[in-house]
Amino acid sequence: MFIEYLPGNTLLHRLDVRTKMFGFIGFIILSFLFQDPKYQLLILTLISLLAVWIKIPLRKIWGMLLPLIPIVISIILITGFTFAPERFDRVSSQVILFYVLPGNRLGATVGGFLMGTTFILRLFSMMIVSSVLTLTTSMDDFTQFFHKMKVPAEVSMMLTTAIRFIPTLDKKRKLILEAQKARGTNFKEKGIVGPIRSYLPIMIPMFINSILMANSLSMAMLNRGYGLTRACTSIREISFASRDYWSISFIFMLMTLAIYVRFKLHLGVL
Amino acid sequence: METLETAKIIQRLEDAIELSNISYRYPNAVEASLKNVSLTVEKGKFILLMGSTGAGKTTLSLCLNGLIPQLMEGILTGQVYVAGKNVGKTAVQSLSKVLGLVLQDPETQIIGRTVEEDTAFGPRNFLVPLDKIKEKVNQTLAKVRLKGYNQRLTEELSGGEKQRLAIAGVLVMEPEILVLDEPTSELDPIGRSEIYQTLDDLRRQKDLTILLVEHSSEDLIHKADEVVVLNEGKVAWRGLPAELFRNLPLLRQWGIKPLPVSQIGWNFYEKGWISFGQIPLDIPATESLIRGLLPKYGHRQGERHKKDPLKKQEPNLTDKVKAVQVSNLIYQYNSGQPALQGINLTIEVGEFVALIGQNGAGKTTLAKHFNGLLKPTSGEVIVEGMNTLQYETYDLARTIGYVFQNPDHQIFSTTVEKELEFGLKNAGFKGQVIRERIDQVLQYTGLEKFRSVHPFSLGKGERQMIAVASILVLKPKLLIIDEPTTGSDWTGVQTMMTLIRNLNAAGTTIVMISHDMDLVAQYAKRVIVLKDGGILLDSTPQDVFSNESLLLNSAIVPPQLCRLSSQLKDILSEEILIESSEFTAMFESGERTGCL
Repeated sequence: MFIEYLPGNTLLHRLDVRTKMFGFIGFIILSFLFQDPKYQLLILTLISLLAVWIKIPLRKIWGMLLPLIPIVISIILITGFTFAPERFDRVSSQVILFYVLPGNRLGATVGGFLMGTTFILRLFSMMIVSSVLTLTTSMDDFTQFFHKMKVPAEVSMMLTTAIRFIPTLDKKRKLILEAQKARGTNFKEKGIVGPIRSYLPIMIPMFINSILMANSLSMAMLNRGYGLTRACTSIREISFASRDYWSISFIFMLMTLAIYVRFKLHLGVL
Repeated sequence: METLETAKIIQRLEDAIELSNISYRYPNAVEASLKNVSLTVEKGKFILLMGSTGAGKTTLSLCLNGLIPQLMEGILTGQVYVAGKNVGKTAVQSLSKVLGLVLQDPETQIIGRTVEEDTAFGPRNFLVPLDKIKEKVNQTLAKVRLKGYNQRLTEELSGGEKQRLAIAGVLVMEPEILVLDEPTSELDPIGRSEIYQTLDDLRRQKDLTILLVEHSSEDLIHKADEVVVLNEGKVAWRGLPAELFRNLPLLRQWGIKPLPVSQIGWNFYEKGWISFGQIPLDIPATESLIRGLLPKYGHRQGERHKKDPLKKQEPNLTDKVKAVQVSNLIYQYNSGQPALQGINLTIEVGEFVALIGQNGAGKTTLAKHFNGLLKPTSGEVIVEGMNTLQYETYDLARTIGYVFQNPDHQIFSTTVEKELEFGLKNAGFKGQVIRERIDQVLQYTGLEKFRSVHPFSLGKGERQMIAVASILVLKPKLLIIDEPTTGSDWTGVQTMMTLIRNLNAAGTTIVMISHDMDLVAQYAKRVIVLKDGGILLDSTPQDVFSNESLLLNSAIVPPQLCRLSSQLKDILSEEILIESSEFTAMFESGERTGCL
């Protein structure tokens, strides 16, 4: 998996999965409310504080952010040149810095660059907030969440089995790869068809093995009574604790405040 | 009439399993897999179901819990009753409360991510309340010796633990009957003994009927109440295990592996020295039998050292290219965990080497260095004059063959012939040469008749043979073969081992990884015991297997006959014998004297 569960015992770990989901959505709404990079920076700082709190593996975050640098630069450039001054409410944002083409065409607006910065900060916030969510929530909790959201039992069963079999299939893939290498398969074949052809000896056994495994899995599931009733006992009842109520009301207040600032005071727009 | 019916029903309640006239044919199959099988099993019995591959053992177990015909199509006739329930009329899911079926591969029977989650799967489907489930899960885990494993991830369990978890998964539903279809075939000796211990524990609890399908017999002969032998879809024999295992011709006929000690006994019986009932089935009985017979029929002591000159074959061509030369090999996984720590090893051309040791000792890791699948962290490996650091696996593949344990990981062609072609094409061979080599190997491996058959329509033993054949076409000088006999029946094992022995006789160097100590003792000329990434012992099978205390440390039990030899140390003057014929050669037998 891209990001794995990071065991720990912070408040964020202990919160109910529904509270965390609510907070997650709250933060996303928050970051879409404001266009001003200053407000985005505030949100990002807030989220980063959460990330520091759960001792997020910084190296992993860097590994995720580093490849995005070219995208970051191109987003700022594109928004800088393509946002027309009429699109901004504030006079300061409508200022045109310079024109790229003669004849006052393709002007770079202050607002455009600011908007680009907002996009970037928003992207970072969302990446970090979703990492915080997945790092503090176990797979169990997610299935519980699906269960609570009344997702059909079959769907959550499918999800759990899929997750359970990821490492197993990965092990199979490695074994198949080794077996074919030992027969002299060269994976460095050239040309257009070459690489595809050289992967057939991996893909076909992989498919066959998956089908065989799925077959015995279905037997094993029937052997254990799966499908007798449409429901099943849920293994762990999740319930709200007082910390959840506190957190929810805090997030709720934060959002009310944000909406007040944005729509009543008209702050945070460009 | 009515009383007769009632009597029948009462009878049914007393019998755990009742099959009457069961016949079944898989869809698209030419021949029926089960033919008029009638079988009743009393409550509380431990039944061993044996027979060669394709005899119908698995099919029979699938009939018992209704997977045939409810999941599998095909034509089923006859009646099956388990614990008084008509299997044809009860859903598989409901039957799981009376009959639990454990299948071969533990991997695909585990559904949950953690041990607790997996064990709870069954009761959850029956909507058992949560606190009750917790209680049941803990009880069941204790029964299969997995107490306290609740939160462990299933992915990280060993093979034996996984299979015990699979047993727990069906036991938790408290069935009256437990059917296990070759539960140990994918396991190493430790995993296997774990399963047998678990079965022992379960046996002691009252009222559990056990039907076990199994190939190996040494551990089970004193545990089972009865043996049922299937042959070509029919019940061929039924009776006490001792009766069957004393009757060698019967075992041979049905492709069941005989006990090594009873082979000695059978020899005595044939000579008329002992009665049928005296044929021994374990080591102590054989020991006292030999001690009793020796004064009467034994040879003179001095004659038994004829094997010695054979043993001391000093390699005199020291400048010749070595098959494998490993010096100071250290290998670490990416995680930094050491897997091999300073291996030094030379294998001469033409040797037959067996690598043994428990799982995780480094056998496969070492073998994968021989064809460059793994590269040394430090030190070097030179095979047939090539340093593996300088060659890729696909270059080495032309000289070094590696047959993996599971043939299904490599078969991908639509016919056997095409499967064999693959390696040859990779190596750059063309038309005529390819055809010649394939013809040759097909004949050599006995696969000629399957030339244009789809590999997956064949049995496991034949697929294993295809895997071997697909390597043999490359005419490797060194053949590495990892567990060549997993899941094969006795006949299959012998065919495979004869093939390997012939290859070795023709000059191919063999490196075999195996858990089957009988095979190692019988076929290998040199045994290397690995433990914790180092070489523990490296000598002839006789020497290695006489070192019982050292072997015990790495959980290796020497083959039965070697253990017998150590019991008879005083008579054999410290010599370890490996073949049953070597034991019988100690006795006067007219035609056999001295011809070994």
